[in-house]
Amino acid sequence: MHNKNKRILPFLYLLPTAILLLVFMIIPIIYTFYLSFFDWNLIAPTKEFVGFKNYIDVFIDPINQKVILNTIIYIVFLIILNFLIPYFISLIVKFFINKMQKTYKILFFIPSLFSLVVGAMIFTWMLNPVSGPIAFILKNIGISMPNWSNSGILAITVICFITNWKVFGYNFILLLTGLGSIPQNIIDAAKIDRIPKWRLIFNVVLPMNRGISVYVLILTIVQGLQYVFTPINVITTGGPYYGSSNMIYQTYLNAFVLYKTGTSSALAIVTFIIFLILLFIEIRFVEGRSDKYV
Amino acid sequence: MKSSKIKKIFLILGILSLAVVFTGCGKKTSASSVKHITYWHVNAQTQGGATVDELVKKFNSTHKNIKVTAKYNPDMYKGLMQNLQSAQASGKVPDVVQVGWAYDNYFASNFKYLTPTDAAKNFDGNSKFIDSSFTKKTLSFAKDSNGKLVGLPYSLSTPVLFINKDILNKYGVQENSLTTWEGVKEASKRIYDQSGKYGLYIQEPGDTWAQQAIMLSNGAKIQKNGKADFASSNGVNAYKYYQEMVSEKLALHTPWAQGIDSFVKGDVAMAFTTIAQASHIKESASFNAAAIVAPHFKEYKTVVPVGGSMLAITAQDSEQQKAAWKFEKWMYSAESAVTWSKGTGYLPATQAALKSNDFKDYTNANPMLKPAVKTLDNAVPWTSFPKKGLQAEQTMIDARDKILSGSDISSTLKAAQDKINAQQE
Repeated sequence: MHNKNKRILPFLYLLPTAILLLVFMIIPIIYTFYLSFFDWNLIAPTKEFVGFKNYIDVFIDPINQKVILNTIIYIVFLIILNFLIPYFISLIVKFFINKMQKTYKILFFIPSLFSLVVGAMIFTWMLNPVSGPIAFILKNIGISMPNWSNSGILAITVICFITNWKVFGYNFILLLTGLGSIPQNIIDAAKIDRIPKWRLIFNVVLPMNRGISVYVLILTIVQGLQYVFTPINVITTGGPYYGSSNMIYQTYLNAFVLYKTGTSSALAIVTFIIFLILLFIEIRFVEGRSDKYV
Repeated sequence: MKSSKIKKIFLILGILSLAVVFTGCGKKTSASSVKHITYWHVNAQTQGGATVDELVKKFNSTHKNIKVTAKYNPDMYKGLMQNLQSAQASGKVPDVVQVGWAYDNYFASNFKYLTPTDAAKNFDGNSKFIDSSFTKKTLSFAKDSNGKLVGLPYSLSTPVLFINKDILNKYGVQENSLTTWEGVKEASKRIYDQSGKYGLYIQEPGDTWAQQAIMLSNGAKIQKNGKADFASSNGVNAYKYYQEMVSEKLALHTPWAQGIDSFVKGDVAMAFTTIAQASHIKESASFNAAAIVAPHFKEYKTVVPVGGSMLAITAQDSEQQKAAWKFEKWMYSAESAVTWSKGTGYLPATQAALKSNDFKDYTNANPMLKPAVKTLDNAVPWTSFPKKGLQAEQTMIDARDKILSGSDISSTLKAAQDKINAQQE
């Protein structure tokens, strides 16, 4: 009896999570995969089977090609703004500034508490190229502000800055905490050996903090691409001519604005596979770490 | 990380299950003689939601056997349509819904609904209500591509040209020169040359409503016999005007919110946008703002597509349909319709409301509405293609964005027209 309980209990404990995962994650993913082979408008009683046409469209359609390229640009920008810069600043705060560490933490963290919609609206107002306060200041020193919403690359930059405003503090704190968990005795030992600070950072600190940094890196990409959705939706709706759209916004546009569930599902599955690869990399690095340093 | 996520999920589940319990309770009580009907609308608190609540409350207090519950659907007609899809999938549909014109054909071919014609026949025995309340023209707005009446026109809007009188006066622009687009261009040039300010902003939301108005007012047709027909020389010339205005920096090319913001702050002299913006402009502008009738090109008349929505009956049960019809008729009474118009900034759709003293007093107090009412006589139904209409609209948006970023007009419009027509086969 006791033994039997022991065998069943773990499964019972897992059950609530398993059901939730099944209902909200696994079944929808399977259903999305199924829908990606059909032409359907979300409500019609009949679905027309089209085979791989939707997948071929994802790669052949010039608009989708543009969107995939934009997605890569977004990833590069997000890595720079939301990963490299916070990392750099957390290193400075940790190793070069001794006072007010807590104050910085709080200051940087405040924007994370605001909704992105609010952020997006404030930024549209501030960055209005004709009537915004920044345009006004620039005008007074004789510079005319470019109309950024008419240029894909500028729109992407502005949208990335808005998400940067939102996630910078969170990523910064994660990285700083990671740096804080490196054993002090190793750092002290390096100091006694008079190893220069930059070598200490490159040869000791960065490798030891790899787990957290890869985690933040993946978060930056996966979460970042979802975060940029809000400003895209509020400010540019993907424009000018899909110049600021990315794969996630395009998935939404196809599904819930144009009611093309087939194309949308195919896009979603392709995005899902890309994220899966990223997750695989994360597991390799983050989980790999524990064998090395224990 | 993970445990907080799970907590969140449990919290959401808890709320969901509570909601299920409560809706379950609601069902039980409705078994008595009181008919419960639900009305889905898109009016947020800032866009007349309070007026909807007020009207529903008034209806409920005067009709003991019917209880209406109003439900707000976020994200306008698009959001309502999404919710209606899931409602249909779950089999629990609302009874009365607001449908935007752009969704006319999509709604008609995918949802089960009771046409107003049938409702009048079944419950009144005659079509007197429909015939006496609406003009033939107004009714034509609510017909699908087969000519069937889908719902009854509820809120109407037309584009108008909002003007900043202070700027116009300062640079010597006569208001009566702005009746044609050519005049608007001349005025914009004069303003730009003297002040560096933009002359005009034309709204660029997620539809091409305003752009269609410009093409229509140059004698172009958007569709002909169910096929796209806007790549005609008249259509091309209308867009050529627009593209030149943008490339010569006479017109501002920017998303909607920013464009209106710039007009309200006095950086753009004129804004071509929907009358529904009137109250926002009146409240926010620090200058002397006014509205005039939508311009037209020389040699052509002003023609604009109508905006707004209709009310459609989605109730399935005959008793529910009867109650829904009663509610609809009450909503169209002159008094309710004018209250609605005041709360939302839309124009009322019925003759009785438009001609009522109450509405006349209201337009006298808000003269911006007058040109919009006048334009109603020149309004045509918003183009809704029989098949894949939403994709057709997106194709037209894409063409607009391409042209404004400098693409060749006639080939872009031709490609868009061909793409839409290929989907109509």
